[in-house]
This record gives sequence, structure tokens and C-alpha cells, in this order.
Amino acid sequence: MSAALDESDRAESIRMIRDSAAAVVPPGGDMKRVRSLRFQDPGFEAGLFRQMGEMGWIGLRVPEAHGGSGLGLSEMCALAEELGAGLVPEPLIPCALSAGLLSALGGVGPLAQLLTGEKVVLTAWQEKADSLEVPGSPDAPRRFLPMAAGADIFLLPVREGGRIALYEQPAARAQVTVERTQDGGNFGTLQPKLGDAKKLADDVGEALAQGLDEAALVTSAYLLGVMERAFAMTLDYLKTRQQFGRVIGTFQALQHRAADLKMQIALTRASVEAAAATLDAGATGDARRAAVSRAKARASEASMLVTRQAIQLHGGIGYTDEYDVGLYLRKAMVLANQYGSAALHRRRFMAVSPEVEE
Amino acid sequence: MDAVTIPPPDQLDSLDDDSFRLVVREFLRQNYPEELRNPPHRLHWNECKDWYHKLAEKGWLCPGWPKEYGGLGLSPSKQIILTEEYERYGVARTPDHGIVMLGPLVIRYGTEEQKKRFLPKILTGEHIWCQGYSEPNAGSDLAALRTEAVLDGDHYVVNGQKIWTTLATDANWIFLLVRTDKQAKKQEGISFLLVDMKTPGITVKPIINLELHDEFCEVFFDNVRVPKENLVGQLNKGWDMAKALLGFERIFLGSPRQSAYALSRLKILAERMGVWEDETFQDRYARLRLDLEDLKALYGTFVVKLKRGESLGPDVSMLKIIQTELFQRITDTMLEISGENAGLLEPMEGNRDLNIGGLFIQARPATIYGGSNEIQRNILSKNVLGLPG
Ligand SMILES: Cc1cc2nc3c(=O)[nH]c(=O)nc-3n(C[C@H](O)[C@H](O)[C@H](O)COP(=O)(O)OP(=O)(O)OC[C@H]3O[C@@H](n4cnc5c(N)ncnc54)[C@H](O)[C@@H]3O)c2cc1C
Repeated sequence: MSAALDESDRAESIRMIRDSAAAVVPPGGDMKRVRSLRFQDPGFEAGLFRQMGEMGWIGLRVPEAHGGSGLGLSEMCALAEELGAGLVPEPLIPCALSAGLLSALGGVGPLAQLLTGEKVVLTAWQEKADSLEVPGSPDAPRRFLPMAAGADIFLLPVREGGRIALYEQPAARAQVTVERTQDGGNFGTLQPKLGDAKKLADDVGEALAQGLDEAALVTSAYLLGVMERAFAMTLDYLKTRQQFGRVIGTFQALQHRAADLKMQIALTRASVEAAAATLDAGATGDARRAAVSRAKARASEASMLVTRQAIQLHGGIGYTDEYDVGLYLRKAMVLANQYGSAALHRRRFMAVSPEVEE
Repeated sequence: MDAVTIPPPDQLDSLDDDSFRLVVREFLRQNYPEELRNPPHRLHWNECKDWYHKLAEKGWLCPGWPKEYGGLGLSPSKQIILTEEYERYGVARTPDHGIVMLGPLVIRYGTEEQKKRFLPKILTGEHIWCQGYSEPNAGSDLAALRTEAVLDGDHYVVNGQKIWTTLATDANWIFLLVRTDKQAKKQEGISFLLVDMKTPGITVKPIINLELHDEFCEVFFDNVRVPKENLVGQLNKGWDMAKALLGFERIFLGSPRQSAYALSRLKILAERMGVWEDETFQDRYARLRLDLEDLKALYGTFVVKLKRGESLGPDVSMLKIIQTELFQRITDTMLEISGENAGLLEPMEGNRDLNIGGLFIQARPATIYGGSNEIQRNILSKNVLGLPG
């Protein structure tokens, strides 16, 4: 359905998604809530996650036949951008990845409970840092599971013969160690235990590759929201803070810096929106990979640049924990390398993208 | 290898550089507490005071001060060696405002009486100093400061507020810039005052920084009475002295120590992440390494000037910019190569050498404090390059 939307329908549907986001995340975010959750377990609100389920966000990309909203990546990216602007900690992106897998496999396993937000289902695919590969080693610890402290179920990709099968392992008895992250959330490491796991499908390889690409793109959109908001706060500050008897935004060095940041944000938005449109138009294989890698490489680098400069342009107050702009830097530190660093995506882009012919 | 013996402090300067390096290594091996190597954040006084007292007791506390005032009187090249070896060993930074800033100021501008009263107490660790310059509305525009000191008999009465005062909770003395003439042009009504933090009317409130550490503070002054002999230099001439002192601060902040430390950790991290042999990484590393080597050379030329007794010109701003931005580029690179580990709150694998996010965050304020890098560039373009404006 999503691919069939014409341009004005799509714009309308994106606008609706942004409006609905505002119902859960007030404009500019609820930093009091964000602060109260950070460095606590599980690092997010189960109640709010369920609300996201009720809004149809967890299954935004899942076809209606499987209980989802059947919308496209353009809508998903618009939503993620709004959530990024508010630093929303609920694990929507990793759970949407799981929902996509279960749906692609025919609506198997805990899909229904995941879509309603009753269960937090995380896909434990990753074995080493900065990688999009899924080796599926049966015994290898699965790393960097976002918000694992609040997981109910893990999905385990396991290599069997030439294919990657998918298992479901309950979190209850699972061996998970949790480390805190700079943004106040956590990463889990799961020691898989196939004896406790139930097989869901024989071949999840292609669905997972697509799911990881989509997660990388949606993370780029979240980072776009992060940088937009950090930049807006910084512009406000440049317009109000006075030194030397005038607002600091009158200093040309700072004006040029702000202009440079704006250009990086504009490039990120263009790249993310173009990638979403490319995928919504049905791109697969290398075309999909190239579009996603372009967006993630840009978003990772630009978000770090913008949030770093946001601190610098605030001076001393930017280096306090109490002032919110630092929360945006910490979020960028966690997400810039998730689902692939800028360097990984640049390499992948060169590997999959044909040179432009004259 | 021959056992290295450590000569008395007043003979260190006459060693040749290579022997001196071995002596420093041996000194650290014998004296530096193992558990304080590479601390993940800046240490509080209660954590590092044993080491500070050890340095004081051995006479090693003030490497740059002249020998007649109890320093080591080290040559520029030896000061650099000392710094390098401290960094290599992972020696923690102690409260150093007295050593790096106030001491040199008193040596240069203080009365004989003030030298006798204050310098020995820095050397014994009895006085720990903090720097009270910045105020909420006087950061980059420091001369706009409003904390005032009004003479009342034999005392100045101080009222106002300082902010971003590093380690004020640990210090027992603070050096202040205060307004002593509200009518004069803003730079011409400022004086330099030394204040005992135990004086009634002072309140210190820690601020949690981005490292989630209570390192800097707000300091409030409510009718604080300060004996008038605590004024350093002439009344209303505090600005010129503070500017001279900023020269010391900038050369200190331009010292390659932070970058050298960070670069050594980048190498450890790159090996751990399996990218050390990677050609593109080698090129990036080489670039950072060459920047560090050239920074060391440039730093050396400034230290030589100081040693000759020359005062530093505004071009010292270059050092501060180059060093702090190199420090940041190194820690940016650490984040870029470490994948998801970049987001960890604690050092990776519990190893202090792999404190990726921690070091990255610590590098942020270096371009803000000590005169922001924007201000340093303004100084370079106006006062060094002579551009109009
Ligand atoms: C970790 C840390 C420790 C510190 N420790 C101490 C201490 O011990 N004692 C002490 O007195 N102070 C201390 N400071 C304060 C520090 O000196 C000030 O933060 C600094 O001078 C900047 O002032 P500000 O924070 O008010 O920023 P502002 O002056 O408000 O600057 C905000 C932004 O505007 C830019 N800007 C301002 N004016 C200009 C201009 N003319 N042209 C171009 N850009 C401009 C700045 O570069 C900055 O990016 C510390 C600060 C930090 C971050």
C-alpha cells in the first residue's frame, strides 16, 4: 500500500504522524520525564511504550493484515524525528525491527503482544561492535541490545546450514548483563541459550538484512530530530545571551558557525527523506543499501558535529548536567554508531553504489 | 640495567635530559600510588592529597618555580620531559591553581611579605587555591565583572557571585578579581584579592558537570571581610596582572599533556578494536601524531621565552587553540572507531585505558575555559595579525 501513495497523500499522512507524535511528546520534549528515567532500570516507561503500541507506532511499518498500520518509511522517519527532538527513550526502533521480522515471517511468535506494547521484544543479532553482519553463531554473546534491562523476549538469529533461523527466548531466565549508556539507557549482552528457546522460522536472513537497513535509516531520522532541537536551543541562546554589551549572535564568527551547522542539518534532512522515499518506492538490494548508508553516514557525523558545537556555543553552561543541551550530545554519542558508524556506512556505500555515468 | 638513584631536587636541573627522564620514571615508580593511575575523572582533594603531600615533601611540587622560592627551576626541555613521563604513567592532575597561577603571580607582583606568607604554604600543601574570575554575566567579557570590594577601615568588604569555580569545594583559598572602582572604565576598576575561604559570608555550591561530576561551583560572597594586606599589586591594576597571568594559564593549557595522554589511549583503543593495522586508520593516526609532535616543538619555543624571563605575547593563544582542538580531534576519533562502545557510560571492559566517552566529554570544555577558542582567535586576529576591528 505504502508505495502506491501519491505525493499529496503522502505529505498528508506524514503531517498526521507528526501531529500524533505531539500527543505523546510535547513540542521540545518532556525533559523532566527524560531525566527521571535516565540511569534507572529499565530506562523507559512501560506505560508509555504501551501507549506507543496503541497509537500503532510499533507496527507502523507492519501490514494491516498482521495488525500493523501499513505505513511507509517516510512516515516512520517523520515519527522518529519527532521522538529524537524530545529524546524519547522508549525502544521503538529496535522493537519495530523485531515487529518487521515477525511480520515478514508470516505473523509468527509474539507479534501481537509486541504490537500492543505489552511485550518488549528485542532482536539479538549483533556479535561485534560496529557491524551490520549477522553471523548467527549459536553460542556467541549477543551485544549492544538497546534497553535490554526492560526486555521481555529476545529473538535469536542462529545459523543453521546455509541459512539463518530465528528463535525466541524469554528474557525471564536469560543470562543478560547490562551496562549503562551515556544517554541514561542501557546496553545488554545476552548469552544465548537455545535449550530455552523456541524456533520460529527457518530463514530470516533477507528479512533481517532489510530490517537492519530500515533501523539504520530510522535512527538517522531520530538523529535528525536530535540535531534540529539542539540547534534550535543554540540559536535561541545566540539570540539572548549577552557579552560585551551585545547578544553573542551578533559576532560574525558565531554567525558563520551557525550557518555551517544549518547546512549540515539541511543535507541530513535531504538525505534521510530521499532514502525514505527510495525505500518506499520499493528499492531493494544494493539500491536500498546505498540510500540507507548515505543517510546514516551523514546523520551520524552531522549529529555529532551539531551537538558538539551546541555545547561550545553555550560556553560554561553547556558543560553542566543541569542544562538540557548536554542531553542531546549524550544521545548522539549513543546513536551515532548504532546500526553502523559513519565509517562503516561510507565503506558500504562505496561497495554497493555504482559510479555515476555521464 | 643500573639502578637509578634520585638526586636531591636542587640537582635535578643539572642532569642531562636522558638521565632526567630515567629519574622521573624511577621517582614515579617509587612514589606514585598505583590505584591513582589514569583516574576516570578529575580527582578531589581527599583522593589525591597523599600524592600532593608526597610531591611537596620530596620538593617536586613546583617544577617551573625558581629554586630560590622552593621550585625545581627546571629547564624548558625538562619540564616537557616531566610532563611526558607523568602522562605516560597516568599521573592524576592535582589542584594546581596555586602552583600554576597564583604562585607565579605572587613571585612576580607580590610584596616580600606576601611571598613569605603564601608561597611556602603552596609548597607544603597547606593552601589549596581556586580561581574566582568568571561570573554569570562576565564570562568571555570578564572585565564586566561586578563582584565588588569596598574598603572599610582595614578590610575590604566583598559582595557578589563567582561561577564555574573549579574545585572550590576542595580549596581553602580563592584568588578573586573584584571591582574596586565603579566609576572607572571597566578594565581600570578591577583589583586582585586573596581570600581565605573560611571567612564568614562565603557559600560554595557545587554544580554537576557533563561528566556527572561535581567539579566546578558557584561561590557567593555576602559581606565578606578581607584584610586589606591581601590585595596583590596596586589597587585598580588587577586587570593587567590577571592578563599577564592568563599568559601562564594559556601556556599551561597549551601544554601537550592532554593530547599526549589521549593519543596514547587512542592507540590502545585502536589495537583493541582491531583497526590499528588498518591503512586509513594509520593515516589518521599519523596526522594526529604529527600534530602532537609539532605542537610539542611550538610549545618548547614558548617555554624557552619564559625561561629567559621574557613575558609571553598574545601569540601564546595559538598554543591553547592548537592543543585543545587536537585533544578534541583525538577523542572524536576514539568515538568514531569504537562502534557502540562509544555510547558506554563507564570505561569499556572496565579498563580505564578505554574510557572512550569519558575522555571525549572531558575534552569538550577545553575549548571553553581559559578564554574560549573564539576569544583566542579574536586575540590572534587583532593583537597578533593587526587586523582592524
Ligand atoms: C570546565 C570549566 C572550568 C572552569 N573553571 C573556572 C575557574 O576555575 N575559574 C573561573 O573563574 N572560571 C572558570 N571557568 C569559566 C570559563 O572561563 C568561562 O566559561 C569562559 O570564559 C566562557 O564564559 P561563559 O561560560 O560565560 O560563555 P560566554 O562568554 O557566554 O560564551 C558563549 C559563547 O559565545 C562565544 N563568544 C563570546 N564572546 C565572543 C566574541 N566576542 N566573539 C566570538 N565568540 C564569542 C564563546 O566563545 C562561547 O562559544 C570554567 C569553565 C569551564 C567550562
